Amino acid sequence: MTAVLDPPETLPVLDTLAARAVEARRLVVDMAASSRGCHLGGSLSVLDILIAALHRVSAGDGTEVVLSKGHAAAGLYAALHVSGVLPENPAPLYGMAGGPYTGHPGPKVPGVRFPTGSLGHGVPYAAGWALSRRIAGRPGLGIAVAGDGELQEGLVWETCQVAAAQGLGNFVLVVDRNGGQNDGPVADISPLPHLADRFAAFGFEVAQTDGHDLAALTGLFGADRSTARRPLAVVADTVKGKGVPAVEGRAASHYVTIDAARAAKWKRAIR
Amino acid sequence: MTLSGRDAYRDELTALAAADDSIVCLEADLGGRGHPFQAAHPERFFNLGIAEGAMVDMAAGLAAGGHKPFASTFAPFAALRAAESLKLTLGYLSAGVTVMAPYAGVSGAWFGTTHHCLEDLAILRSVPGVTIAAPYGEAEMRAVVRAAVRSGKPHYIRTGRNAAYDSIDWPGEQPPLVNWEFRSGPEEVCLVSVGEEGTRLAMAARPAAPGTAHAHLVYLDHAHLTRAAAELARHHTRFVVIEEHRGQGGIAEGLALLLPHCEVTSVSADQSWPSQGGDHEEVMAALGLDLPAVLAAVDRAGSGAMTASAGAAAR
Repeated sequence: MTAVLDPPETLPVLDTLAARAVEARRLVVDMAASSRGCHLGGSLSVLDILIAALHRVSAGDGTEVVLSKGHAAAGLYAALHVSGVLPENPAPLYGMAGGPYTGHPGPKVPGVRFPTGSLGHGVPYAAGWALSRRIAGRPGLGIAVAGDGELQEGLVWETCQVAAAQGLGNFVLVVDRNGGQNDGPVADISPLPHLADRFAAFGFEVAQTDGHDLAALTGLFGADRSTARRPLAVVADTVKGKGVPAVEGRAASHYVTIDAARAAKWKRAIR
Repeated sequence: MTLSGRDAYRDELTALAAADDSIVCLEADLGGRGHPFQAAHPERFFNLGIAEGAMVDMAAGLAAGGHKPFASTFAPFAALRAAESLKLTLGYLSAGVTVMAPYAGVSGAWFGTTHHCLEDLAILRSVPGVTIAAPYGEAEMRAVVRAAVRSGKPHYIRTGRNAAYDSIDWPGEQPPLVNWEFRSGPEEVCLVSVGEEGTRLAMAARPAAPGTAHAHLVYLDHAHLTRAAAELARHHTRFVVIEEHRGQGGIAEGLALLLPHCEVTSVSADQSWPSQGGDHEEVMAALGLDLPAVLAAVDRAGSGAMTASAGAAAR
């Protein structure tokens, strides 16, 4: 594959993206400190994926990113803000009346085209976007970012079947494999063994990566896939609560509400 | 030869797509072999397989990319299996997607209850912003499809299986809000027909109930129904709605709320589940949807002996 973005990303670019990730994590903690609280663990696990994907969007080739695991809305709002798509700081308005920053994202938010949160739907939205680009002979990817728990939804696999059958090479499904879901570990509730093999069996190209490695992620998302005939699945291993030591790797980080003092302490510890 | 609703849809959409390359035709493996759109525009025809939810959601993605997707599958699979996708895509997103739903009502007849859909109007009427149409006959279907392409707004269009009907004539290009097949004095009962078989029954009933008026409705969503109700109330006070749908959530219920000073009853599907075979007419009769039921309802309305409730109670 050739690249839309200049490969490999230069260190200054990666440094910029890493700085955005730190800033975004602080915003997510601010949202956890709102009166509403937020899905903290999953917002922090998916942040690097979103920042790398939005970097591809900034190339201006018509790539669309759909956060299918919409409960990580705080992560999405923060990533959109630090990436320059969302001008205002969403943190003070998160969950508040009169603002668009609901607990699951909708199209009133700049940079968000589709409503997600009822799990599974973001995957076919992105596939439909990819199909639209292909019919029109235009470049750009449809990138769906799903959770590993979300893969329990049949709609995800229904769409994988369609995407492979249609040869949607410009469709990318990223799995934020943080190992957790609402009621506990994915492995305890509905395990997903041989996940990469499953996607391969559907006819996908498959890449496995560290979901916090911005160089690897930008490399995967930066490719020009306009001539690809197989969709791409990226199984990204992540850590729930990544970057905030107090909650990193803890299942209890799924939904968190904290006070301002604790938020200040957690933000200072973000690395 | 008059075309069935779904054949008229396919033919009209194929013709429109020749001049509009944003039109995309989606099927979920129920389009049949030899689909005319596929023959004429293969690069814009997609049989996505048996994947109704994915089809409607992908249509949202296509619409966001600037296309006009028309997605078709049987009404029970569109309105029930993919109900959440319809809520989000047609309702919340207000995406320019048209869902074409044949096999509405019990037009699937002997195929059985899994292939019947007596609930779709109740579901779609509760989703704001969706234009709902139930055209009667080829000409109405063509006009509704043309309007859907022009509007760029979300549409749900219900039709039957293979039966063909001659539309009621109307002046102009677009069917009127209320198409008066027969007018009569304000003291007379007015039949209000909905959909293919509801309209057929209304027209069959009129010779046996002289003087009864007949108003046919094409568009059934709340916005259209509100305006239609105002026109109906200017001419009559007693209405019998004939609809191939459950009474609950049907058009009669909607009209009854919109016309609190009128008497609205309905001839609609009763509370039973058709569990036997038969052709379309026979399965409808098993649900209480037949000509004797319509005539009895007209008699009750005319004598003032009816109840104020809609649905099977009126039979």
